[in-house]
Amino acid sequence: MSGAIDLNAIIATSPFCRFLNVETKVDERGVLAILPIRDQLVGNVMLPALHGGAVASFLEIACLLQLAHETGTSAPARAIDISVEYLRPARRENTFARARIRRMGKRVAVVHAEAWQSDENKPVCLLQSHLRLPSGFAAKE
Amino acid sequence: MAGDSDAMDDDTKTDGAADWPGNSFASRMVEYTPYAVALGMTYVTSSPGRGTILLPWRADLVGQDGTDILAPGILTALIDHTCGLAIMAGLGFEAAPATLDLRIDHMRPAAPRASITCSAHAYRATRTIAFLRAEAWDVSPDNPVATAQAAFTLNRREAK
Repeated sequence: MSGAIDLNAIIATSPFCRFLNVETKVDERGVLAILPIRDQLVGNVMLPALHGGAVASFLEIACLLQLAHETGTSAPARAIDISVEYLRPARRENTFARARIRRMGKRVAVVHAEAWQSDENKPVCLLQSHLRLPSGFAAKE
Repeated sequence: MAGDSDAMDDDTKTDGAADWPGNSFASRMVEYTPYAVALGMTYVTSSPGRGTILLPWRADLVGQDGTDILAPGILTALIDHTCGLAIMAGLGFEAAPATLDLRIDHMRPAAPRASITCSAHAYRATRTIAFLRAEAWDVSPDNPVATAQAAFTLNRREAK
């Protein structure tokens, strides 16, 4: 099923993704999500640093995109819970994210994601989420 | 469980609530933060260790075309920011809180076109860490759309 779905079409149908200007591309490692820097995203003007809420919601979107990419369905999954860890301040620059599906059940998926900026080995934020898969969805394997 | 009167433990009281300039200045926490402004967050109220922020519904913040429901990521930002407000309401602006971790349980989707209110409580703070609970609701605080638990680091100046 991999790669069968147009992720840009998914972004295009989400007003909030458009609000954040989230971009995406697919490479051999999966989905790369990009959050272009904008002054609006700043949460701390003194540092300056991006708002933790902006980075976390970007990671939530990365999870949804990876899920859509691997399952080939555009029906949106819904977060049951999220757990976010902030490792270091996200500076005023472009932010990148990748997500990994750790378990795909019939109803629930466990997805982990991480965000980084200039150095992928220095993540700024980690997110773990349980996502409720759309009804009628069954792991296709 | 700590009651309202001793919501912050002893070592925070040494330079605590007295620094808080009160509601008329508390709104700056929302008004001077670019991302809070961009999302349209509106300051509601605060008291030492507690804060409440409203996020009015807006079409461009919806998660999925055709649902009219705010994206869950909006709740994340609202909850995070309300926690920051609650800390500063207890410890003053110089507490300089930074989110360490944040866990959110989404009990149910918000109603279509519903605005969301979030209330956070810093129920415990040490010199370097604050612990918070928060709830977000659309219609009634008795029926939250999301509940959250968070820990923030504090970067307070040493007491003189």
